[in-house]
Amino acid sequence: MITTWKEKLADQIDPALAQEIDVFETQIELRRQGKMEEKIFAETRLRRGVYGQRYDNGQRYDGVRTQELQYPSADLTKGPETLWDAPGMQRIKIPFGGLTPDQMDVLADLSEEYSDGILHVTTRQDFQLHFIHIEDTPLLMRRLAATGITTREACGNSVRNVTACPLAGVCRDEVFDVTPYAKSCARFLLGHPDVQDFGRKFKVAFSGCKEHACGLVTMHDMGGIAVKRMEDGKERRGFELYVGGGLGAVPHQAKLFDSFLPEEELLPITQAISRVFARLGEKEIRSRARIKFLVAKLGIDEFRRLVLEERKVMPEDPRWMAYLPEVRKYQEKPLKRSMSLNGEERPEGFEQWYETNVYQQRQEGYVVATINLPLGDLSAWQVRGLADLARRFTGENVRITVEQNILFRWVSESDLPDLYRELQGLGLSDPGAGSIVDITACPGTDTCKLGIASSRGLAGEIRTRLATKFSEMDEAVKNLRVKISGCFNSCGQHHIADIGFYGTSRTIGGRKVAHFQVLLGGQWEENAGSYGMAIGSVPAKRIPEALDRITERYLKERKSGDSFQDFVRHIGKKELRDSIEDLMTVPPYEQDPSYYTDWGDPREFTMGDMAAGECAGEVVSLLQFDMAAAERLVFEAQLQWDDEDYSKADELAYNAMLQGAKALIKTEFLDVSDDPDTLVKAFRERFYDTKLFRDKYAGAKFAQYLFRRHQSPPSKANKDDARRLVEEAQLFIEAAHACWERVANRQASDPSIDQGVPSPTGG
Amino acid sequence: MELQRLGVKLFVENPSSLEIRSFIPIFHSWIQRQAIEGHLLIDIHDYSHVYRGPGILLVAHEGNFSMDRAEDRLGLFYCQKQPSKGSLRNHIQTIFRTALQACRLLEEESELEGIRFKTDEVLVVANDRLFAPNTPETFQQLQPVFREFFEQLFDGNEFTLNHRTDPKERFSVTVHSPHSMDTQTLLERAQRA
Ligand code: SF4
Repeated sequence: MITTWKEKLADQIDPALAQEIDVFETQIELRRQGKMEEKIFAETRLRRGVYGQRYDNGQRYDGVRTQELQYPSADLTKGPETLWDAPGMQRIKIPFGGLTPDQMDVLADLSEEYSDGILHVTTRQDFQLHFIHIEDTPLLMRRLAATGITTREACGNSVRNVTACPLAGVCRDEVFDVTPYAKSCARFLLGHPDVQDFGRKFKVAFSGCKEHACGLVTMHDMGGIAVKRMEDGKERRGFELYVGGGLGAVPHQAKLFDSFLPEEELLPITQAISRVFARLGEKEIRSRARIKFLVAKLGIDEFRRLVLEERKVMPEDPRWMAYLPEVRKYQEKPLKRSMSLNGEERPEGFEQWYETNVYQQRQEGYVVATINLPLGDLSAWQVRGLADLARRFTGENVRITVEQNILFRWVSESDLPDLYRELQGLGLSDPGAGSIVDITACPGTDTCKLGIASSRGLAGEIRTRLATKFSEMDEAVKNLRVKISGCFNSCGQHHIADIGFYGTSRTIGGRKVAHFQVLLGGQWEENAGSYGMAIGSVPAKRIPEALDRITERYLKERKSGDSFQDFVRHIGKKELRDSIEDLMTVPPYEQDPSYYTDWGDPREFTMGDMAAGECAGEVVSLLQFDMAAAERLVFEAQLQWDDEDYSKADELAYNAMLQGAKALIKTEFLDVSDDPDTLVKAFRERFYDTKLFRDKYAGAKFAQYLFRRHQSPPSKANKDDARRLVEEAQLFIEAAHACWERVANRQASDPSIDQGVPSPTGG
Repeated sequence: MELQRLGVKLFVENPSSLEIRSFIPIFHSWIQRQAIEGHLLIDIHDYSHVYRGPGILLVAHEGNFSMDRAEDRLGLFYCQKQPSKGSLRNHIQTIFRTALQACRLLEEESELEGIRFKTDEVLVVANDRLFAPNTPETFQQLQPVFREFFEQLFDGNEFTLNHRTDPKERFSVTVHSPHSMDTQTLLERAQRA
């Protein structure tokens, strides 16, 4: 009798993959017995997509106190400060988002048996399952492997999921179908020896054209945009290749590596880039280890030179060319004959759905139907239902998108009314795909360890409010994109939304209040063509109003034909900030405690054991006042950057950091000089050397922003560097807020700390 | 057969009077006082936006509790995620005891305005497709153990077991009894059964 999945699926799994999973199972056992070092095990499991989840350090604030969660395996860990028994997340890579119905069925089964019955689509065409026990992960991997899915390198310092436009192959505007290239590139890089020694993750994306957004190439570590060229009367395929882009705390637009990289060179150059990154990329300081920092440090020309040198000396690999015949043959097969939508009876709600969720393929009579998933979630029952619908209407042609939706491609147009009826039955017929109600949100405080505020809670709230008025909305507002991250790390891609938000926190009267920084003017189009800039931090509970005000103003004051970015430029960020400034005030707790909880979570946002004495209260007020001045300076720096005065922007951003540092120093020593050298020295001694400024997760990187600019001011500030410094100043100020919260907490629990800090500048 | 993970759903009798998100603060208070015996309650997740989904989820180390809306029927669904020790008979008893304890706690909540759970219909789910594929053979194998347990639970009164046969769904049976009783009585019987 068969008693394990391993036996049951033995002949359905690729032997190499089966062996990898066996090895991982052994490693789990070794770690359980204490025979594998926790750090090594942590990276091992991350490279299998087995990720930590919020509260996995065994502590959780329950609204009254911080509970120590007493797991059966007690102190056994699966990584630093990560308890063995604590449930975690499993990320499942879906290269270019392509899925078959059989894979969907298995994913549904796994979500029920090992997770919570929900599959979550991420902003990088992955699935995530939450609340998974580590012992179950090999079973889950085997069941996925039997359908051709691997979780290998879904997390960790490796090549993450290779993404591509979800419309690739059916798009009306693409140069050619990038699907087979994305597929081959993913396969080539998976487990490749040259990608095993990166200091950080490496994300790759492909796009079929330059004008539209779908591939988001310029925000990736490496990305290719399809281009064709005529050479000697023959058409050649290639890629406009970019490197060094990325969102994260400080977003970087990728740099052009080659305006035409022939298809034959795609894999070798990717390999050469990987080698240079592995060899020269930062390894020690995690926060500077992405390739964007290496490209910025070397400059794109030097980086390119090194890659091309590397390319010359690399041993030939037959796989570089072997995939090309496959590319030429690659073709998706529609399940049914194409038929136009004619006299079919149309169910109620169909027209609105058709308007926003249906895209005409370039292949006549076929359409792509977008299934709009609230917060990227769907239940096992819905996934199974969709798998059956896919079998009936589209065959293998299903894709998940970076906007956390599902696409059915190659649907015969005449089938749409039937498909719509079936989707209604599954509760998946919401209109508004790609519109203002189709909000992207990262997991935030729901499950992410780094989350500051509830991105999903806010997204849910905004979605519910907007859905009721969606049908009456003006087209211009309908077409805006809103994206939300739970912290500055931008997994919700807030930088590339018309209106983006990321979670922060402020301390008001000794209690924490969830806030979101508001960013305006990011651009989804042109492969994430430009990034939005912050205009100010608003309490989470006032964000829906802030959104209403901004959209109403856009509606009233835009000039005809103005995009949202044009409108933001015309009106100016200062004006827009002024229009929401009154929302930034937080009333005292006694007056309105609702501000002190986050969306969807009744627990008080603040730490329960935090208490402010009268003296500390005064200093906090002073600190808030000074910090507000620092924030104002960053904001002015942004305005100067918008006006293309990069030197002023640089100067103001630097001054903002100095002001933030000064605000902190004043909490210990009021008579602070304004001299930058004295300020930086005092800040270094009081907050950096004492480790008070160190963020638990980000380390000392925010302090380095100040030190670097102080030590090496630019001889002439350029656009990119000024932009970076403005972003860094914003983060420095957020870090100063967080630092003060930590200090205040420590003082509350141990008042002697107050006197414990040396005062070398004469305080 | 080593079926070690089971689930049970008890349906709410008066669902229309309840707002799904009102369970969120209640589950938080359960975590504060670790209200479920033998369980380490960890976290809450709001899935109220998912149509006929798990509603509001309370995650415990041993299993998930959810105010589940599958098939458009609100009920408390408890599903084991850790393999439990002992015989299948013990597992069934354990899941019933746990689920009924949770139902009792909810019925005692003043915030929920008289929520009541039905006791004349329950759904039992095998949360393991390896040991309990949804086939007639599995039903044949499990039926005697299920019957023995429900005979005791319903105190010798008649009941029916209906196997739900959709091969893509997990193995499950619906148990109907013409006799309804309060959850406290059923809990006491589950403890003795
Ligand atoms: S943006 Fe922050 S909160 Fe959101 S998933 Fe990323 S790290 Fe977590």
